[in-house]
Amino acid sequence: MTRRLKATVQLVAIGCVAGLLALLVWQLGHQQHAPPVGAMAPAFTLHRLDGPGKVSLASYRGKPIVLNFWASWCEPCKSEAKVLERDWTTYRGRGIVFLGVDYHDLSSDARRFVRAHALTFTMLEDGSGRVTGSYGISQVPETYVLNRQGRVVAHLAGPITDPQFAGEFRSALARAVA
Amino acid sequence: MKLIVRFAAVVGVALVFAAPAAACAHPRTSLAFLEGQVMCPTCHTTLDQSDSQAARQIEGFISQKIAACWTAQRIESALVANYGQGILAAPSHKGFDLLAWWLPIAGVLGGALALAFAVWRWSRRGEPGEPEAPAGSGLDEETERRLDDVLARFE
Repeated sequence: MTRRLKATVQLVAIGCVAGLLALLVWQLGHQQHAPPVGAMAPAFTLHRLDGPGKVSLASYRGKPIVLNFWASWCEPCKSEAKVLERDWTTYRGRGIVFLGVDYHDLSSDARRFVRAHALTFTMLEDGSGRVTGSYGISQVPETYVLNRQGRVVAHLAGPITDPQFAGEFRSALARAVA
Repeated sequence: MKLIVRFAAVVGVALVFAAPAAACAHPRTSLAFLEGQVMCPTCHTTLDQSDSQAARQIEGFISQKIAACWTAQRIESALVANYGQGILAAPSHKGFDLLAWWLPIAGVLGGALALAFAVWRWSRRGEPGEPEAPAGSGLDEETERRLDDVLARFE
């Protein structure tokens, strides 16, 4: 009886340790990283910020996409918004799609931001940050440029107004549209 | 006369803003309380431990809703609707989240039971009724007699 009890306790202890190890392995395996250039952009479906309904990334397949992650509390996003709107009006005739993804933000403040900066491209909300996380984003603004096949052409981990990223953004736009 | 009009205007404005506060039908919650209950979504600490812009935005929202007489529960629900369940520092008391509340209790209870059982088994070893060592010295008669002789010399 004692031997059986001892064996059971040992089994339970081993099971607990194995469970914890499995949890650690799962956690390590599910850490989110930015999709590298050339990789397929993670699929998503998000609610529209500027109206009812949802938008999925897949529905834009066949068109180049500029995917901009932003938030109303983000200071650099303010100056970037003007540039994005200007580029959107410049490139929209060439079939490119601009999508803004509002991240970890209050919807009311985000809508106010969109109105204040007169942004006209499609805005989506990702309050929980689930989609933003799948793009490996830890701070905003960040921008991805995707080609017609939905592959990443460029990842700009900072404001496109920054001289470091401005040139890269222009060249990525040209590559995506070509 | 102008002064009286101005005074009346100030009092009127004050009353307009004070009226909703006075009309609060329940004890007003506080920012300090909710700051410990709500997470900063970008820094993964509670609001009271964060100074990020996202945290300040949420604090502003909470202050605004407290002023509008919202209860803590209503404010939390609004934040959950916007940011998802992860905005709350503690898991909910529903569904799978219940595990987070009950597992530690179950662990403590299980540990206490295992300890009690181990103590019970240990204490039983020394209890009467169990086989004891046989009585007597275990020496043969000759040795016992010689030992008695030796001891008698010392008396």
